[in-house]
Amino acid sequence: MQLRYVFTELGQGLRRNVSMHLAVVLTLFVSLTLVGVGVLLKQQADIADRQFGSQVEITVYLCNETDVAPCDGGVTPEQKAAIEAAIDDSPETSGFREESKQDAFDKTLALAESNGDTRLLEGDDAAVTVEDFNESLWISLNDPEKSEGVVSAVANLPGVLRISDQRELLEPVFDVLDAAQWAALGTAVVLVLAALLLVGNTIRLAAFARRKEIGIMRLVGASTLYIALPFLLEALVTALIGVVLAGGALAALLRFVVHDRAADTLRFMPWVDGSDYAVALLVIAVLGPLLTVLPTLLLTRKYLKV
Amino acid sequence: MIRFEKVSVTYPGQGRPALDDISVDIEKGEFVFLVGSSGSGKSTFLYLVLRELRATQGRVYVAGREVNRLASWKIPRHRRQIGTVFQDFRLLQNKTVAENVAFALQVIGKPRAQIAELVPQTLDLVGLDGKADRMPDELSGGEQQRVAIARAFVNRPQILIADEPTGNLDPSTSVGIMKLLDRINRTGTTVLMSTHDNSIVDQMRKRVIELENGHLVRDQAQGAYGFQN
Repeated sequence: MQLRYVFTELGQGLRRNVSMHLAVVLTLFVSLTLVGVGVLLKQQADIADRQFGSQVEITVYLCNETDVAPCDGGVTPEQKAAIEAAIDDSPETSGFREESKQDAFDKTLALAESNGDTRLLEGDDAAVTVEDFNESLWISLNDPEKSEGVVSAVANLPGVLRISDQRELLEPVFDVLDAAQWAALGTAVVLVLAALLLVGNTIRLAAFARRKEIGIMRLVGASTLYIALPFLLEALVTALIGVVLAGGALAALLRFVVHDRAADTLRFMPWVDGSDYAVALLVIAVLGPLLTVLPTLLLTRKYLKV
Repeated sequence: MIRFEKVSVTYPGQGRPALDDISVDIEKGEFVFLVGSSGSGKSTFLYLVLRELRATQGRVYVAGREVNRLASWKIPRHRRQIGTVFQDFRLLQNKTVAENVAFALQVIGKPRAQIAELVPQTLDLVGLDGKADRMPDELSGGEQQRVAIARAFVNRPQILIADEPTGNLDPSTSVGIMKLLDRINRTGTTVLMSTHDNSIVDQMRKRVIELENGHLVRDQAQGAYGFQN
């Protein structure tokens, strides 16, 4: 097979149809970038889930002497024993630990010290004292997703002030990640469709522009592969350019948005890194060529039918 | 070389067959005219040989192979045994004469050395030596048809199909083309030519196959156009 001819045709094909190829490259670039963003967001959600999901605890605050309804004075030892028994009996829990009033006060003090202002907590005339804090039970869950059983078992027991589920605090974060992921993938699907149509049109135009050559090639007995090869290579070249651009955009996103901004501001959260980028890159590197080569194969069968 | 056995072709959506129960045998090295009015089935006949079309019924053998049953990946190899020339030349306008002829060899993967040898040889054979570097639009109609014949013959096919090759040429140029086709026929190549040009058929006194509305109405050795003898 004379590859020189194939490469000459490839060069001519790319030049002849430059605006159309540019449209394909740009559409692929944006859609693959969005697919990559979707993959990274999915991984970010998984990372957040791993990080926080395992740490999520349910906190049962017990009544203090000063608390009003639903409390009726401080929690009694019997009430506390009943609450602890209810937690132990729930199949959803893997155990619990107690936090005394003093522990709670110490935590708050430590936080205040880190902020550099402890005036309200210290001294004889402190506004908040140890006695103002509630005792609490910190329940660990077997499955962070399943907490309804234990919450409903404990919530209405006497001596319980309120129950705090940390998951509720994190829920909006997960919701945002989820929504962003689906928005990115949804937009990517629409753009991928646009890319497919553009690839189809490009091939149709190219096949039309070269119909005379193709006709002669068929007559003199050129193989189907030989006739289709310039088209397939054109598809591959546009796909590779699209993948390279999208890969660059994702790398820039990771560097300038995630590392330089988000990771700096929101330090409590671990962020996607190089290995996650590699996964996203792999996905778009496979998807890009598939998106152009598959329709090319199908359409060249149609337009270049032997 | 070419054998039709009870061949019929009906195009989809058409009631009347384009070819109806045709049986013909063309020997190796024969020169055969295919005549008949427009729509008589001449082109369908040629397309069957090329395997551009498949017979609806019957069998078509070319060079010993039944082409109806050829797997699609074998069709290119089948067509390499056949050279084809058209009324409208079908030259690539952006390539020189030599490049047009070389194209037919390049796309079937012939080595460059072989192309370098065969192209000038063939151009010489068709009487175009010295015009290798001309562009098609710098040539007369007759010369363009010679380029097309060179392209069809450069791979030394066993069969040369010519679909009204003189249809666009004046009578004196047509004579030159016929002499060239005759010379190619004398190298042992089977030539199958469809034509409307009765003066050519009359003069050449070759075998004539006449089609009318898809039926074979005449198969005559050393015939003439129409029923003249």
